[in-house]
Amino acid sequence: MAEASTAPRARHGSGLNLRLWLPLSWVTLLVVVAVFARWIAPHDPLAQDLLLERLPPFFMSGSEPGYWLGTDSLGRDVLSRMIYGAQIALFVSVIAASATCVFGSVLGMLAGYYGGWAERIISRLVDIWMAFPPVLFAVLLVAVMGTGLTSVIAAIALIDWTRFARVVRAETLVQTRMDYVDSARIGGARRASTLWTEILPNVLPTIIALLMLEMGIAIIVEAILSFVNLSISTDDPTWGSMIAEGRNAIHFAWWVLLFPLIALFFSVLSFSVLGEGLRQRFDPVLQ
Amino acid sequence: MLLKTLITRLLTMIVTLFGVAVVVFTLVRVAPGNPIAMMLPPGASEEDIARLTALYGFDKSLVQQFFIWLGGVVQGDFGTSITLRQPVDQLVLSRLPATLELAAMALVIALLLGGTVAVLGARNRGTGTEVGLDLTSGAVLSIPDFLWGLIFVLIFGVLWPVLAISGRIDPRIEFDFATNFYLIEGLLRGRFDVVGSTLSHMVMPAMSLALPLAAMIAQLLKQNLKGELVQDYATIARVRGFSETTVILREALRNAALPTIALVGVQFTFLIGGTVIVERLFAYEGLGNMAIDAVINRDLPLIQGIVLLFAAIFIMINLIVDLSYTLLNPRLRHG
Amino acid sequence: MTRTVLDIMNLTVNLPNRTRILRDVSLSLEPGEVRALVGESGAGKSMIGKAVLGILPPKVRISEGEILLDNEHLGAMTPVTRRNTVARMSALIPQDPLTALNPLRKIGPQIVDPLRRIHGWSADKARARALELLDRVHIRAPERVMASYPHELSGGMRQRILIAAAFAPSPRLIVADEPTTALDVTVQKEILKLIRELQRETGTAVLFVTHDMGVVAKISQKVTVLFAGKVMEDAPTEQVFSGAAHPYTRALINATPSSADPSRSFTPVPAQLVADLHREIAQDDHLYMTVTS
Repeated sequence: MAEASTAPRARHGSGLNLRLWLPLSWVTLLVVVAVFARWIAPHDPLAQDLLLERLPPFFMSGSEPGYWLGTDSLGRDVLSRMIYGAQIALFVSVIAASATCVFGSVLGMLAGYYGGWAERIISRLVDIWMAFPPVLFAVLLVAVMGTGLTSVIAAIALIDWTRFARVVRAETLVQTRMDYVDSARIGGARRASTLWTEILPNVLPTIIALLMLEMGIAIIVEAILSFVNLSISTDDPTWGSMIAEGRNAIHFAWWVLLFPLIALFFSVLSFSVLGEGLRQRFDPVLQ
Repeated sequence: MLLKTLITRLLTMIVTLFGVAVVVFTLVRVAPGNPIAMMLPPGASEEDIARLTALYGFDKSLVQQFFIWLGGVVQGDFGTSITLRQPVDQLVLSRLPATLELAAMALVIALLLGGTVAVLGARNRGTGTEVGLDLTSGAVLSIPDFLWGLIFVLIFGVLWPVLAISGRIDPRIEFDFATNFYLIEGLLRGRFDVVGSTLSHMVMPAMSLALPLAAMIAQLLKQNLKGELVQDYATIARVRGFSETTVILREALRNAALPTIALVGVQFTFLIGGTVIVERLFAYEGLGNMAIDAVINRDLPLIQGIVLLFAAIFIMINLIVDLSYTLLNPRLRHG
Repeated sequence: MTRTVLDIMNLTVNLPNRTRILRDVSLSLEPGEVRALVGESGAGKSMIGKAVLGILPPKVRISEGEILLDNEHLGAMTPVTRRNTVARMSALIPQDPLTALNPLRKIGPQIVDPLRRIHGWSADKARARALELLDRVHIRAPERVMASYPHELSGGMRQRILIAAAFAPSPRLIVADEPTTALDVTVQKEILKLIRELQRETGTAVLFVTHDMGVVAKISQKVTVLFAGKVMEDAPTEQVFSGAAHPYTRALINATPSSADPSRSFTPVPAQLVADLHREIAQDDHLYMTVTS
């Protein structure tokens, strides 16, 4: 008993603030950079200059002032592309994660609350969806819908809804079985309104925590699709297309891979830590 | 009891596979772009296109096409690849060994690494070491395989180039493979140059796939180990003079592993799903890489075949996990 | 020097914040003697056994005092020597037979492995010894039981197996930590009788932790009464029951429903007495903190 209670407490005491503030600062930085990209970016992210191709970053010899993180094979400024890339990454993560969240949570709540046929159909769909390799599914969907950000967002929502549906269904089931729902129903509340007023508020913390995780996942999926050359046009400055370009030019210009990789790494880690922190805060079992 | 569960599970499996077949079939048919037009040289005559369309059955209705295809699948005929002009089952089976070897290697790495970290964490429970291991595995867990792959490419492919970053084997190696299990065959036939080259191509993709799973095993198994180590049977073993490490390995590990298996099974299917992008990243000639090519080339029969195979593998793994959980637990084994 | 199996001298056990779980406890056991450790829950009676066996919970430390097992100072040994000495000299009969056997291992190795480790016996010799002891605790078909998993056996059966396992290496001391608390009343009697018999035959000393004064009367020759980690009374069992010196001991006896005579009335330990004792200990604590800081 003693050891079970001391370990998490020790972690909370010293680590909690750092574990909240570090990811939060990174996300804030992303938002600021994305919103003010036009004023922050030193160069046009699409401007090619073959005289300036594959310039190394500032700390290496041969670098050019003004091109802090170097340039890619077409002479485009890496820093500026990363700044504009943050815009796309944030846009995709917010929109795609929200869409996934709404779609999956609604299906999950319907299955958990009404049971019966709704539950059976939705559970079977989840089974079928879980049997697809997710990346291949995404690639296939984008191929079907055509490249472009809308397709990317739709593909994410159409694949990852199962993550929300599974968890929300289970949570709703637990909540539905609790007494207060019965008493609300006896009090004359309609079934649909009970779902809205009694169950949703209790499932919401879980949904929000999952939403944070999904934002990180969405950024990665966008990067993967860019990497496979299916997201948006390769000229557009997404972190994924930069990574794809960096992977190809890896022996000549590794920095084109390194910097967007660092950005992806911290973004995914931040969203995941925030989501996990929220989950732990709201999880009655862990408290 | 066990038999009844098994039959129910098999029926569910068939329904799920049928569902996957319907979804993938519908998806690839609504995709824009005429696959036949893509395989013919520009300027091909209308008759040529019509002839090929009929050959692949694309002139029939969707429902007809579906059942023709499904009828073939049931008899083991998955159709013919449009771009590679070979039977799909042959193509798929030629690539499957590469993916299986990769996934198996990743699983072994994940089990060893995750298991070791879990035992270390449990051994040092309540200390700074445990907190450090927890934080590390938490961070490792949240970084997906794709990013690990890129990180490894950068580190071991460029900054410290000790490993091969693309392909499956050094093309200069002369070796007449009887199967496509390069690693296993190399080992069995004692060709250690083949083994070495295969491994050096496999280490990075396998590690990329293994790390998230290893982190998850480390966390879950450690939590379960800690639960077991406060049980009386562990205390009694300590009183009998067994060291803490022996108590963990001999007494607690088996009990802690059992509830871990179920979750690891699900996570292992994610690992196999991850091979698609990781193979792409390392230009590893496996099933996933072929699948992405098939999508890009609109090779409908090939896409269908690969997706169906992946789905079958996922479902099989889930079944095996469930069965092994029952078989490993003596309380369930006897009814 | 008298020949004692266990000698505990001025043992104080602390939490990291210096809260004392055991306060200056002294007691000793001679060969063949059964000493009961009584007290209400939280009195620290189990902690004494755990301190002897070296299985104190994490963060709980021995801050003062000495434990001598067969006249050897446990505190002076290296951890490995201490572990081996404790394993050779002593054994534990736990409270809950359901969790004390590893559910995924067969009974046989769970008795045989420790014997091989403690005495370096061959597999055959250890197995023969295990069978002998299982037979001794009245287990029919011991061969079959050795090949069984714990879940296939009843609670009483498992407790008998644990008793056999405890006695099998011929320890000098057995710590029995409320071994009958988790069992049915009918099984309780049988288990008590078994421990008593085996203890007499082998001359093993037993430190018997219990909260049940009825059990104390049946099994022990000496009694140590604990309250909040402090020894209230240490006396021969007969003397305690004929006229205990300490009011708390008398209160405990009155508070125990007698399993032999259910009609006898019992009264809970008076709250006033408990409050007085706590006040006394609080003053003592204050002194302790001032002296040691």
